[in-house]
Amino acid sequence: MIQPQTHLNVADNSGARELMCIRIIGASNRRYAHIGDVIVAVIKEAVPNMPLKRSEVVRAVIVRTRKELKRENGMIIRYDDNAAVVIDQEGNPKGTRIFGAIARELRQLNFTKIVSLAPEVL
Amino acid sequence: MEIINFSSVLLHNRLSCPAVQLHLRRHRFGRPRPPAQKQQPQQHHLLSTTTSLNYPNSSFTFPGLRRHPSALGSNTSMDTDDMYDDLFKKYGKVVFTRNDQKPAIQEIEDDAESLSFAVAAAKVASEVKAGDIKVLFVKPLVYWTRFFIIATAFSRPQIDAIGTKIRDMAEKQFGKVAAGDSKPNSWTLLDFGDVVVHIFLPQQRDFYNLEEFYGNATQIDLPFER
Repeated sequence: MIQPQTHLNVADNSGARELMCIRIIGASNRRYAHIGDVIVAVIKEAVPNMPLKRSEVVRAVIVRTRKELKRENGMIIRYDDNAAVVIDQEGNPKGTRIFGAIARELRQLNFTKIVSLAPEVL
Repeated sequence: MEIINFSSVLLHNRLSCPAVQLHLRRHRFGRPRPPAQKQQPQQHHLLSTTTSLNYPNSSFTFPGLRRHPSALGSNTSMDTDDMYDDLFKKYGKVVFTRNDQKPAIQEIEDDAESLSFAVAAAKVASEVKAGDIKVLFVKPLVYWTRFFIIATAFSRPQIDAIGTKIRDMAEKQFGKVAAGDSKPNSWTLLDFGDVVVHIFLPQQRDFYNLEEFYGNATQIDLPFER
C-alpha cells in the first residue's frame, strides 16, 4: 500500500538510496499502489558521485511491499520493506543490477527486464 | 493458506526442490553469502524444516560440522554452500515436493522444443545482421525461463526489423506470441515464455552486461555462425 509521501528503499544500483512517492500512475484518483505499479517519486537520499541526485523526480516500479501480496493458489508473500526500482520513460531500469528477492508477478506486468536482472525470483 | 514473510519465502521456495535451489544459489552469484545468512541457527532452521535430518547430538550442533572444521567460525569466507550441499547429500531427505512437476521425459522434450525455437530465432536475427548473437541455456539458473537469446543491433530500425521478424517467425512456425516491448527500445525484450530474446544497442549491451550476470549459463553453439 504505497501512497504519496511513502518512503521506499531502492532495490537497484542506480545511485538513489531512498525515494518518496509523489504520484501513482494509472488512474486519476488512485489511492494505493502495489507490487508492479509505476509511481512517480522524488529521490530523498542518493549515493555520492552517481548520475542520480537528491531531489530529482524519477519513475519507479514497486518490487516489494510490506502489505501482503496474495496469489491465486493461496500463497501470501510479505516482505520486510517497501522497495522500488528506478526506471526511465521507456521502462528500462536505470541501474544494472537488482538487489533482493522480487515477485514473479512483475513478469506478467511486462517488467521482464527487471526480472532478468534480479538475483532471486519468488 | 500460509503467510510467508521475506526470510521464510526462501525457505518455502526451497521446499519445492531443495537440492536444486542450493545449487542455484551457489552458481548464480559466485560470491559468498552475506554474513547474516551464514549464521548457524538460521540455516539449521532452514534445513530442518525442508529436510528431515537425523541428529545424534543436541539441536544446535551439526553432525557434519566436525568434518568441516575450517568452514565454521575460523574461515567464514569459504564457500559454505558447498558444505550445505554435502550435508544435504549425507543427511537430507526431500519431505515435500510440489505435485505439479512434469516427468523427466516431458521436461527433455520441452527443452528440445524450446532449443529448436531458440536456434530458429537466433538464425532469424543473424539473417537481419544482428551482431554477437548468444543463446544461453539458463534453465539451471532461473526457474522462470529456459533460454536467453542476447543480440546486438546497431540502430533502432534494425531493432525493429529483428523484433518483427522474430515475432512473425514465432507466430507462423511455432504459434507463439511474444509479450514484452511492442515498440523498438534501446533494450528490446521479447518474452516467449520459455525463450526470452534481448536485443540491445551496443551501448546498452555493455551497460547491462547480461552475459556476465548469467556467466554460469551454458552457451549453445549456433550452426550458422561458422
